[in-house]
Amino acid sequence: MSQANWAEGTAVERSAVDGEAGLHGAAGSSPGTRPSQSAVSPAIHTVALTKRFGATTAVNSLSMTVERGEVFGFLGPNGAGKTTVVKLLLGLARPTGGDGLVLGAPLGDREARRQIGYLPELFRFQALLTAREVLRLHCRLLALPKHAWEEEVGSALLTVGLLKRGNDRVGTFSKGMQQRLGLGVALLGTPALVVLDEPTSALDPVGRHDVREIIRGLRDRGSTVFLNTHLLEEAEHVCDRVAVIDKGTAIATGSLDALLARQSTVRLRVGGLGEGWWSELGRFGRWRRQGEWNVVEGIDPSRIADLVDALVARGGRVEAVIPEHQTLEARFLELLSER
Amino acid sequence: MNPTLIIASLTIKEAVRRRLLLAFLSITVVVVGLSAWGFDRLAHSQSLTSGESNLAVPQALILFMFMLSFVLALSASAIAAPSISSELESGVLMTVVTRPIRRSEVLIGKWLGLAALLAGYAVGVCVLQFAVVRIVSGFLPPNPVLVCVYLFAEGALLLTLSLLLSTRLPAIAVGVIGVAVFGAGWLGGVVGSLGTAFNISALRTIGQIGRFLLPTDGLWHAAIYYLQPASLIAEDGGSRQNPFYAQGAPAWPYLLWVACWFLIVLIAAVASFERREL
Ligand SMILES: Nc1ncnc2c1ncn2[C@@H]1O[C@H](COP(=O)(O)OP(=O)(O)OP(=O)(O)O)[C@@H](O)[C@H]1O
Ligand SMILES: [Mg+2]
Repeated sequence: MSQANWAEGTAVERSAVDGEAGLHGAAGSSPGTRPSQSAVSPAIHTVALTKRFGATTAVNSLSMTVERGEVFGFLGPNGAGKTTVVKLLLGLARPTGGDGLVLGAPLGDREARRQIGYLPELFRFQALLTAREVLRLHCRLLALPKHAWEEEVGSALLTVGLLKRGNDRVGTFSKGMQQRLGLGVALLGTPALVVLDEPTSALDPVGRHDVREIIRGLRDRGSTVFLNTHLLEEAEHVCDRVAVIDKGTAIATGSLDALLARQSTVRLRVGGLGEGWWSELGRFGRWRRQGEWNVVEGIDPSRIADLVDALVARGGRVEAVIPEHQTLEARFLELLSER
Repeated sequence: MNPTLIIASLTIKEAVRRRLLLAFLSITVVVVGLSAWGFDRLAHSQSLTSGESNLAVPQALILFMFMLSFVLALSASAIAAPSISSELESGVLMTVVTRPIRRSEVLIGKWLGLAALLAGYAVGVCVLQFAVVRIVSGFLPPNPVLVCVYLFAEGALLLTLSLLLSTRLPAIAVGVIGVAVFGAGWLGGVVGSLGTAFNISALRTIGQIGRFLLPTDGLWHAAIYYLQPASLIAEDGGSRQNPFYAQGAPAWPYLLWVACWFLIVLIAAVASFERREL
């Protein structure tokens, strides 16, 4: 019976989370109005942000808010518009419509950029400088006090695992090492907002793990992280909230739990009931037989306890109840196919 | 440090590491070394009277300086051509322009760094060449410093133009345009002096317009003027169609225009870079 209890507990947890977050396409707020500036402004706030390249609409009326201190995952398939959004936020490109605020300042504001670390999708550094020199150059551009440079540079190198290669020229670095250096550059000067555009695209499994640790470290010290990725397990591991975008439109925004919790799957092993006993229980979800397991798909997590009660009431011996969290990948594919 | 100066010193550092200056200077040393032999033959030739050789050495020097000015201008174009476009393409500039720095500071910083390199090269070339000629033949141009200044200005002109083009065009295209522009500027000067010599107003007009649109040849002629000894000016009054002869010192309104030209092209470069979406 202990398994059933566990299932019950899960259900309670789930429903608590369920109530908290709205899951909705983000086109809600009124377009055209300029976002208001407040004392503790969100890290990122956009209203109907739009970018067209000729006939292509790369970003289509995107409205979203990223709170301070959050790790925000920006997910979408290739060509969804993720990089374009980042470029708009940093002022590398100009929006063709809508507007936004980053750290309370207009898009591309020069002073706000002092507080932003950015790892571009296409990362390359001065090949003839050493890693230390590149980092020092950025300390200088950030106008950090000179006495802090060595400390900053050293800790950045340590964090991204390049301490031993600090005095080597960047031109001799592998692609993954250059991406690590890029991360180090983005971490300099304790930025309030760190924007990472596919930070693990060139990294090995160890590097990917390191990046997760770095992101968690950033969250712990209160930085906001905006993480662009199409690697869902990456988002699953570190993000507090995510937005899923496709063809420039946000199709879902919310906490990861909320995004995934709408429905889930439960695997059951039940003895003591005859053949076809589940035909009367179709209201809980779609039933499927898999070996000696019965699988209920699309069940509302809060109803798992009711299901177990119903089984017991029918005289069933519940041997195992295993709720399966929907993977982000499954949810992602589902969201994309719904459109 | 000022952001502009950070970029300028970065530009210089990268060029030094790339051994650009070293490569240019070593080629120059070889070429100037060879020219020493030529000037020595010319100065001590048995078949020339001493009066003739007094004219021949400066004229040969002018021709030689023309070649060096060509090398200088093309080097300027070559080092400026990849500065913006290639770094945008590779992504190197992405992390720089997203720092608290203006695009104009990035561009002016690059311009300053490249111009400093060019100035170093121009000074090196002039000192070397004038020293060699002086030692071998005893001749020193009447105003070697101004020669150097105008040669530098001529190179800086192509450098600035190339920087403007590199905000939009790939490096190879900029390099090719740089060569073409230099050639066209020189040809415009030749056409103009032919027009003056034979009194053909259409040619003269082309020359005049060319001098304003692209002051490379105007600056080259300013350099020539300060290379010519008084004896050559007295002697050569009749040969106005000679494209390697300057009648007078550069007029100050023209120099003012050249200053404006620099300003206009530099402002255009900044505007073009600022508008560009990365
Ligand atoms: N400079 C540009 N000119 C024209 N179209 C562009 C430009 N930049 C992006 N696009 C278009 O905008 C759309 C979104 O591109 P973007 O690079 O933002 O996608 P992405 O989500 O970052 O994709 P990926 O996962 O492959 O990096 C694409 O259709 C792309 O073709
Ligand atoms: Mg991208």
